[in-house]
Amino acid sequence: MTGVRRVDVAVIGGGPAGVAAAVTAAEAGAGVVLVDGAPRLGGQYYRRPPAGSEQLSRGRRRHRWRAFDGLEARLEELVAAGRLQVLPGTTVWSAEGGSPFLLRTRGGDRDPLAPVGLLRARTVVLATGAHDRQLPFPGWDLPGVMTGGAAQALVKGSGVLPGQAVVVAGTGPFLLAVAATLLRAGGRVVAVVEANTPHRLLTRPSELLPGLGRSGQLAGFAALLVRHRVRYLARHRVLRAVGGDAVGAVVVARVDGQGRVRSGTERELACDVLAVGQGFVPQTDLAVQLGCPVGTGTDGGPAVTVDDLQQAGVPGVFAAGESTGVGGAELALVEGLVAGAAAARRLGLAPAVDQDLLRRRQRRVAGLRRFADALHRTFPADPGWAQRVDDATLICRCEEVTAGRVREAVTGLGAADPRTVKLLTRAGMGWCQGRICAEAVDRLCPPPPDPAAGTARMLSAAKRPLAVPVGLGALAAMDGPGPDPGHPGAGPAGPSAGGSPGPRPLSTPDQPRRDQEGPTP
Amino acid sequence: MTGTLPTGGLPTGGLPSGGPRTGGLPAGGGRADPRPAPRSRSGELPRTVDAVVVGAGIVGAACAHELAVAGLSVLVVDRGPVAGGTTGRGEGNLLVSDKEPGPELNLALLSLRLWREYGDLLGPGCELEAKGGLVVASGPSALAPLFRLAQLQRAQGVIAQTVAPDQLPAIEPELVRGLAGGVFYPQDHQVQPMLATAMLLRRARVLGGAEVVTGCEVIGVRRGHGGEVSGVVTDRGTVATPVLVNAAGTWGGQLSRLAGGPVPVLPRRGFVLVTEPLPVLIRHKVYTAEYMANVASDDAALQTSTVVEGTPSGTVLIGASRERVGLEPGMDWSVIARLAARAVEVFPVLARARLLRSYSGFRPYCPDHLPVIGPDERVPGLFHACGHEGAGIGLAPATGRLLAAAVTDRRPELPLTPYSPNRFGADDAT
Amino acid sequence: MPPEPMPPEPTPPEPTTPPGTGPEEFQVRLDGRPVPARAGQTVAAVLLAAGVRSWRTTRQAGRPRGLFCGIGVCFDCLVTVGGTPNVRACVTLAEPGDDIRTQQGTGWPLPVPASGTGAAAGTGAAGGTEKAAGTEKAAGTAAAGGTEVAR
Repeated sequence: MTGVRRVDVAVIGGGPAGVAAAVTAAEAGAGVVLVDGAPRLGGQYYRRPPAGSEQLSRGRRRHRWRAFDGLEARLEELVAAGRLQVLPGTTVWSAEGGSPFLLRTRGGDRDPLAPVGLLRARTVVLATGAHDRQLPFPGWDLPGVMTGGAAQALVKGSGVLPGQAVVVAGTGPFLLAVAATLLRAGGRVVAVVEANTPHRLLTRPSELLPGLGRSGQLAGFAALLVRHRVRYLARHRVLRAVGGDAVGAVVVARVDGQGRVRSGTERELACDVLAVGQGFVPQTDLAVQLGCPVGTGTDGGPAVTVDDLQQAGVPGVFAAGESTGVGGAELALVEGLVAGAAAARRLGLAPAVDQDLLRRRQRRVAGLRRFADALHRTFPADPGWAQRVDDATLICRCEEVTAGRVREAVTGLGAADPRTVKLLTRAGMGWCQGRICAEAVDRLCPPPPDPAAGTARMLSAAKRPLAVPVGLGALAAMDGPGPDPGHPGAGPAGPSAGGSPGPRPLSTPDQPRRDQEGPTP
Repeated sequence: MTGTLPTGGLPTGGLPSGGPRTGGLPAGGGRADPRPAPRSRSGELPRTVDAVVVGAGIVGAACAHELAVAGLSVLVVDRGPVAGGTTGRGEGNLLVSDKEPGPELNLALLSLRLWREYGDLLGPGCELEAKGGLVVASGPSALAPLFRLAQLQRAQGVIAQTVAPDQLPAIEPELVRGLAGGVFYPQDHQVQPMLATAMLLRRARVLGGAEVVTGCEVIGVRRGHGGEVSGVVTDRGTVATPVLVNAAGTWGGQLSRLAGGPVPVLPRRGFVLVTEPLPVLIRHKVYTAEYMANVASDDAALQTSTVVEGTPSGTVLIGASRERVGLEPGMDWSVIARLAARAVEVFPVLARARLLRSYSGFRPYCPDHLPVIGPDERVPGLFHACGHEGAGIGLAPATGRLLAAAVTDRRPELPLTPYSPNRFGADDAT
Repeated sequence: MPPEPMPPEPTPPEPTTPPGTGPEEFQVRLDGRPVPARAGQTVAAVLLAAGVRSWRTTRQAGRPRGLFCGIGVCFDCLVTVGGTPNVRACVTLAEPGDDIRTQQGTGWPLPVPASGTGAAAGTGAAGGTEKAAGTEKAAGTAAAGGTEVAR
């Protein structure tokens, strides 16, 4: 087992929110560790290949990277000065409350026996991001069908195009970003298939204003599509992906305001990749583990509830970026800054950011949130999906459970909520623990009587004691003897003579620490 | 012992709880109110029935099934969903191997026979499987008591085959070498408890006209002039009934107090570890001889023993910890690490398997380790069917059968005296 | 409120290494056949670049699967790397000489059926030797009074 690291601030997630928070807190004098699962910081948005292999990427760096580059330069200075430590390729799989917080980490998948890492932190900033939101359709499990995020990550992180001919489909402005990434890398985009009506956004100028920068960016994407003669099919939906061992085409059709297909508008688009997404689902596993209040965001997904200091409801825990509700990279940067400053202030430090600027940032957060909400209202994720999806459609990819089996559990076996459906069908019990299918299963259940009940059952599904699977051998090694096994204060745990263990303290007060009084050096 | 509700919809009985009810919804590391949307199959509660069964877990389902088959009109109510409490947290073991000779083993043997009948009635969907149990001893000191127990069990009709150390790999190839020996119990079965519960309730509904209303909480019990049960008050209305069956599992103690016939049922927490899906590396339910000592112990402190078994879905389930910590639902990674360590010691191959999830559940524990089955002499019309600790899935059919006999005043297949709710002293029933 | 500077856009960076020092190129193996890779690429990217779109089949229906979420969430792209099954191809960087294997079902090697008696009932090809050695050792300790493996 590796030693226990003790820090003032543990920032989880190396995207824009996490980097901004880490830099802000470290510049204020806090001892900071930034933990990220990827080999290089940047998150999904600023994804790049690992250091030393940048030339893999085909596109050209643009001026819009400056905001992140600036942060990263400051981060490198802090790292060089020993004031900030980055743990790349490291995933926090469990977060436990208390004083200090206890985070358990692991490395990559290659070695299930690799020891568990322990991190004790006085404050925690959750910047865990989001993943693409999916609603199943026939053929969505065919190889070649992937999320928009997957297509982007391939290009940005590995310099590889996902295929020769890509259909980008689903809803939301992210579809344009995916298409633009593919086009700039020299890829061919067959069509962008948008289920909603983007120009509705223009009817809400007051909400648009704060997002002007992003609107301009979207206009740029649109121009790029025109330049490459990419078909943009608004109010069109993917009906199914077809193919034998992999996707060969997608069938799309025009839909009305309720998402119903207009007869005679079906058409088949040949492709070898379908990049699909309906927006994003915030990663809230660690927030739920820590007991932070999680509510329903404007896009219907879970979102960590935060105040204007990004405090997440549990003293010492802050959340920033997509985990507090999907809002884009600029919002994430600003929230990260606010969270980092607030975490430092909680430790009795004075953040370098002055109060006026901080207040302006907080107002900016509010404006960008309004813009994000407007986007979510403009690009809803197929409200009529549950009524239309046919019984043969796969819902849970891991355990191979169809919509028909979920419906049978509901109508035949009396399941009224996603958890009971899971227990009866195994939907959501596989490798991904329902991260992909949770929303689909929830929608196939009887509707909750009120929003609070809806949030409750979403939360129940979002409760995952492990944020990522852990090798049993690694877990076993956490069991004593040892000075600091998996639990605070647990002593050596040798076998007792009778073969039966004696009583063992389940919880003892944490040892006094040198750094109790002030920030770590 | 009020306040926090356990994780993810555990409550079975209709019991007032101090836990959060609505609004706000702090996730609370498992402290959110897990109750799903109230939903009634029938829309409305019936006005009057022959019997109300509180609890839609496996025991309530078996009771409802047996009562409905006996011709009674039955209403099953549960505060949570079907199989949402301890049933949904269990591994589905139907064991004779871990039963002390005497009344519990009698119940287990009757149950085993009935489970085979249920298996035929419910069909393959309930995943009833005669997987067999293998109890192993690490050293001679553990082997001798194991053999003694097996001998006593044999005298009561259990098939228990002594296994020499060199025979162990033929039964379980991945078992660590160097064990002292074991006993193989071919009668040990497994069932998918949630499916079995839902299917039993469906059968009770379809064949016997039983009604099942979930999301319905019992908040009071009406009593007649003679103190007898006359009705059940729920948050969705009142139902007139002469018979109340307490099948509220871990929450049976609370319901019993509400009904005026307290029985001492307490939660005893256990964790289950669930691995990634694996090929059939582990063929039987395998556990160490220490497990029996822990089951029989009264100690409130943490006890762990090694219980490992595969499931039809490929995941391997690992237990078993026992501790009396109230209804505290949180993860305790020191317990989980210990369970992992012991499983890996017995099955080294598991070291490289990943843990996908872990969860806790609460066994309904009775101080004398016997379930509470039968009429409560303090409250005419009140019948208990709870307190099965970790054996509720296995003992459910016999419990339902005996309970139905008691309610309908027929001769039970086993004498009820050992399980009687009237066996407790006044001091126990708190 | 005036709009602040536009957010950066998700575009890959321009090359920062001098020309002529191309990315480190190496080979990995997929089911024994060589596949080219470059430093910094994920296993999934290497396989897709080689035209491989699927590298596992599912447990129940035997359906082909490949990359799906691309960021480590869905566990659909599981593959065997260096003898370890169920490694996420999308978040695992390829390393020189990686032995990558497509996988079926659980991804684990199928156990040898339990037959015969004693330690001869093997434990599968991988690790068989190791297990046999372990057996001997364990048997030795058992004779000396038993190992309390199961406390």
